[in-house]
Amino acid sequence: MSAETIRDALDRALDAYTVLSELGEGIEDEWSYVNDLTDAWRTRFDEVLVRHGDDDASDETSQAIDQAIDEIQRIEDPHRAIDWLSTFPQIVLVAVGARP
Amino acid sequence: MRFQDAARDARAVVYAGIQADPAVARTASLLADATPVQRLLARAVMNGESIDPTGWRTMFPTLFGSSATGDAAELARSEAILEASLAVADRGDQVRSQVRGALIEEVTAQLLAKRVGADAVRRERRILFDGVPAEIHPYDVTVERAGAAEAYDCKWGARGINADVLHQLDDARTHARDEDERLSVALVVFDAQRSCDVRLDRQTAPHDGTTLFSLETLDALAGPGA
Repeated sequence: MSAETIRDALDRALDAYTVLSELGEGIEDEWSYVNDLTDAWRTRFDEVLVRHGDDDASDETSQAIDQAIDEIQRIEDPHRAIDWLSTFPQIVLVAVGARP
Repeated sequence: MRFQDAARDARAVVYAGIQADPAVARTASLLADATPVQRLLARAVMNGESIDPTGWRTMFPTLFGSSATGDAAELARSEAILEASLAVADRGDQVRSQVRGALIEEVTAQLLAKRVGADAVRRERRILFDGVPAEIHPYDVTVERAGAAEAYDCKWGARGINADVLHQLDDARTHARDEDERLSVALVVFDAQRSCDVRLDRQTAPHDGTTLFSLETLDALAGPGA
């Protein structure tokens, strides 16, 4: 097992998610949608943290989340960032064994 | 109420070429039988930046890692979806976008065909009503059966949900009702229900009579409750 908990892994994912949302906010017409969308997914992350935050994260889970973070850090186009504001949390939640 | 082929303008001709690409039908067939996580894999890869399969396998341990089911057929399908999705991702942005659109339409058509038979499922059709000007945009997929017609608009992502499409679907439903016809209308979105709900919550266009099929509920298209 890795030395981290689900909370550690999700905190790292949420930090990267914040950067992604800031990129998506670059599309002015979608500013409020971007914020509503990120709020909705953060709420889901919070639910998982309450129930499973102190659980150990497996190596596979940590590596999956790091790989997903690496993927969104490659994104430069704000339109693609908005697509990933929905896709990234789903991948992270599946990786920790939670329903998106 | 009657159905009619859409006009074959230049855009339609180009798009028909994308729709007819054998890779689209093959990939759609994989996705029609896929699990929700396999569909998420396809969505991620086709939206992605990197085309290294190893990284994507790492990102989805429940499909490729020790937490996978261990079912050889499921693993083979996951690998086939990954390969097909990477082939889409490797194309230019414009073609990638067109292929993704064609894919979700074809997945919808294939799932509907399981329920109503392929002969009843049509693509790129207009729906005409007496005394009502025809809509410019055809419906992506229709089910044409007497007394139980259906019209579907397909979107790759929740962001594609907008007032125009919601009005078009709801108008068709109400015009059909005015003619004492039954027309079920629905959006098919290759994205999470949660993201679709956020998008729909922001819309003032009528959508109470429009069914939503999301990434998690696509299989319902093939079921009796669709």
